[in-house]
Amino acid sequence: MKINIRKYILSFSVAVLMPFVSAVAEERILLLNEGLWQTDNGRLTYFEDGRIVSNQWFRDVNGMKLGDTPNDIIQVNDDLVAIALNWSNIVQFIDRDGKAVAATEDVPNNRRLATDGEYLYVTSYGHECGTVSGTKTFTKGFVAKIDLKSFKTVDAVEVGYEPEGIALYKGHLFVANTGGYAFQENHEYEKTVTVLDASTLARVRDIDTNQINLYGKLSQSGQYLIVGSQGDDYEIQPTTVILDCEAALSGKSDEECFEVLEYAATNTCTATDGRFYAVGSRFSFITGDYTFNYLSIDPGEVIATDGKRGVYEEMPGTVISDLKTMTMPYGIYVNPYTGYIYATDAGSFATAGTLWQWTPEGKFVDKYRVYINPAHFLALKPGSGNINPIGAEKKDDHIYDLHGNRVKVPESGELYIRGGKKFILTNRE
Amino acid sequence: MKAISGQLMKLALTLSFFLTGLTCNATDIVAEADSVVGLSEFEVTALRRPLATVQSLSGEKLQSLSSTSIADALKYFAGVQIKDYGGLGGLKTLNVRSLGSQHVGVYIDGIRITNAQNGTVDLGKYSLSTLESVSLYNANKLDNNQSPSEYASGSTVYLRTRRPQRDSLTLLAGWASFHTYRGRASWEFARKGWSGFVDAEYINSKGDYPFRYKSEYEDTVGRRKNSDIEFLRAEAAVFKEGFSSHAYFYTSERGCPGGIVRRLSDKYTNIGREWDTDLFVQASWEKTFSSIHSLKFNGKYAHEYLRYNTDYPENQNTAKVDNHYYQDDAYMSASYAVNPLKWLGVNVGYDARTSWLTADLKHFSPVRRFDQKAVAAVQINYRNARLAASALYQYYKDYTDLKTGAADPLSRFTPSVTLGYNLYGVSLRAWYKCIFRAPTLNDLYYTQVGNRNLKPEYTRQWNLGAEYQYARGAWMASAQADVYLNYIDNRIVCLPLRGTYTWSMMNYGKTFCRGLNATLSGQFSPNDWNFSLLTSITWQRDVNRTDPQDEATYDMPICYSPTFSCGVTGIVSWKKYSLTISNLYVGERMWSYADPDDILKPYHNVDVKLTGTFKWFTASLEVNDLFDVQYEHIPRYPMPGRNFKLTLSYSL
Repeated sequence: MKINIRKYILSFSVAVLMPFVSAVAEERILLLNEGLWQTDNGRLTYFEDGRIVSNQWFRDVNGMKLGDTPNDIIQVNDDLVAIALNWSNIVQFIDRDGKAVAATEDVPNNRRLATDGEYLYVTSYGHECGTVSGTKTFTKGFVAKIDLKSFKTVDAVEVGYEPEGIALYKGHLFVANTGGYAFQENHEYEKTVTVLDASTLARVRDIDTNQINLYGKLSQSGQYLIVGSQGDDYEIQPTTVILDCEAALSGKSDEECFEVLEYAATNTCTATDGRFYAVGSRFSFITGDYTFNYLSIDPGEVIATDGKRGVYEEMPGTVISDLKTMTMPYGIYVNPYTGYIYATDAGSFATAGTLWQWTPEGKFVDKYRVYINPAHFLALKPGSGNINPIGAEKKDDHIYDLHGNRVKVPESGELYIRGGKKFILTNRE
Repeated sequence: MKAISGQLMKLALTLSFFLTGLTCNATDIVAEADSVVGLSEFEVTALRRPLATVQSLSGEKLQSLSSTSIADALKYFAGVQIKDYGGLGGLKTLNVRSLGSQHVGVYIDGIRITNAQNGTVDLGKYSLSTLESVSLYNANKLDNNQSPSEYASGSTVYLRTRRPQRDSLTLLAGWASFHTYRGRASWEFARKGWSGFVDAEYINSKGDYPFRYKSEYEDTVGRRKNSDIEFLRAEAAVFKEGFSSHAYFYTSERGCPGGIVRRLSDKYTNIGREWDTDLFVQASWEKTFSSIHSLKFNGKYAHEYLRYNTDYPENQNTAKVDNHYYQDDAYMSASYAVNPLKWLGVNVGYDARTSWLTADLKHFSPVRRFDQKAVAAVQINYRNARLAASALYQYYKDYTDLKTGAADPLSRFTPSVTLGYNLYGVSLRAWYKCIFRAPTLNDLYYTQVGNRNLKPEYTRQWNLGAEYQYARGAWMASAQADVYLNYIDNRIVCLPLRGTYTWSMMNYGKTFCRGLNATLSGQFSPNDWNFSLLTSITWQRDVNRTDPQDEATYDMPICYSPTFSCGVTGIVSWKKYSLTISNLYVGERMWSYADPDDILKPYHNVDVKLTGTFKWFTASLEVNDLFDVQYEHIPRYPMPGRNFKLTLSYSL
């Protein structure tokens, strides 16, 4: 991940240095709120430059509800975003303006998404998949491949039980299997990461991590992946697996492909310096105890030192101390374009969660009220594909609010339009 | 019954009036008088009864309501909120004064229906057709001789089985909307002091009712799928004086439909199906000695089987399970009451219950719970003033080989006190009750969510009330109103553990509720006519007092709790024909704190029932939800709209 220095400086200057600056949107975040299960209230928040533009953006744009329990969101190409709606059995595609473009129910019980820009790869806990060559059925879970030109499912292949995280590296899909239904079904937890050839979906290998229930998002940093083993909540404690994709593709033995860290990685993301951030806790039903960890992990260092070094109980600025004040940390994210850090607090049950924002240095900016169980982030490219506020049609030099109303007395810290562009008014000087 | 003198009859009539808070007719009198065993007890009864806050429906009033299960009768009571997942097979639970369904004890002839696994009673499983009366008591019933278990819940619902007065045979057939067919046969007898019945009912319903969600963001029209139910219920009972016995059998298969969510087609239904078999036998014997001593023994054995299966190709969304749960429950109680002085009654009792739960869940081992209760209660009457006080002791101990181990034994005392005063014919009452619900076996031990460290969930209730009756000539009227406060501490809820993907049962939350319950009813019965009006209103402010730091929730209303609801029922009858029209209004309820739009809309539900009897035949026609109002108790679980029910019966 490269740091976009230019954008970074620009945003810094907008916020601090200049009293009146016109700027294109820098921080553009799509945030999926999972809602409550079976309540059909999954929602998409659109956040732009210190403002929640909408906590029901999909509804606003499309006049319809998004669906039940969204589980992942991913940018497919400059003009397409895919959303996995787990309980609705829908993979929803929207364009950069949020407009629904296509949807498919070929992949029931869909979980997480990966893409190479031409195809979307979807993991599923289900056992059947509608493909162009008919319905395929599987004993275990599967990965489906959706053609992004036709939005048809062109192929699907069985992997392990209940595959969750998926990542693409050098034409190969890395799929973390959970076996998460093991506490109810007659199979054990899975311990493997399945490697597939993305073009053929042929299985290349299964890497046995010897860690069970590899659940959650696969965060990616170059050749490295991080995946949390959630344990079984009884005897087996959560751990963190750092996987070296390069080693896996070069045919090294299973043991040489990963390191196991004695920490929990419930929520992870990749920072702009290539480290992983991992937040999690370890819990046991037997003892009732649980312990938290807030980590930044240098995966290259972890692999190079056989797991002896590379784990740091640090994050920029006040991020860790702020996270510790959350009621229910639910998601963490770093905007790859700007380095701004985000996390969500799901609060208590059935309450609106909050989106927290820090500068790349870890200075707390603000928190924003979103919706129930805000969990999955996607940063859109700054500048491009802007949401056009009504006010942007006014090209003159007067100051307008986002609805196009003329503002006589602008207030500090607010977002306005001037000359057809947005700016944040600051009166520091 | 026949032994009761005219004077007593008059008293009984007044009493029943007190008791029901509604109106009085011949069957009411029979019901009340039947429970009167001796003169001295009767006197205590006369002093005691207005003390409790009670609402009751009985006899013809009960049968004239549009109802398929006891949930339909209870929903007209003040302070009651029914939670219904919709359709005949949808789980129906009862919440009284916002204490939560697990704080409501439901009793058949004084013996509690229990479910050690989840602590709730599905009201849909119990029929009105064998019942004489349904009564709701807030806090205690305050009979002079009660078993400890009757003191052990926040509110109590008493279902009183009908005691036949003559021999009869009834055959019934019913047709209703959504492919619903019903048949029932009942044989009753009464001879030489013995009476009893055998009653069997079969229902088969596809339950494919239409629904519509219309809002700014959707217009979803559909038919409920996987909402079918088929059940057979068979009951038998035998009574003689102080002896009563009851056997009950219920077996069903039903679909468990999920919430209506966005889908592109009906291809996947998340089908889950449930099979239940419930069986119980119970007996009770009560005897009064030397007119001041009274002894009562209760015994019950219950067996419950539940199978839940999700292993269907239409279900791609959950784990494929086929789980079987078995519960057995043995109960006995002994209680003794004495009235040594005219103004004093004392009641002591002990009961013991053992429950076994086994299931083929993973990580699960059988659990046995041994639950003992003891009570000491006193009732004092001095001129116009009355006092009832009780102290209940409960002891729970669980045995299991589960790896998490059994919960620590639970042992607690809880008190309740009631004061009453009669002022110019107005009965004034004030009461306090503190009671808890023990964590259920699911709460403590269910695989992946159970938490053996749970504390009991406590409720404290305060109540002030007044009641007045009027009866002259063909006119009768009664009114009662109660204001109340209640507090719940250590609510038992399921929440995700911080920083994990794991959900677990926890003690989290406090609530504070202020409310007003009132009922007003009147009856005018000239010659062959009878005009009745029954009304109830509930106003309450039920707020979250969990976390003062949390502005989003603190002092905000509790989800699903309406501020205002009311019911109005009008009955007109002439000879053997009657017309009943009722309307239930339930106000707006929020279901999340996240968005002001997350509300369940208020609704009116108007039901009409027309019944006529000609010789041996009775026909009734019901139209429920006359105006086809679309409403829900749980978001995305639509209730059936307008539906029709036709019933024909033949009685000998």
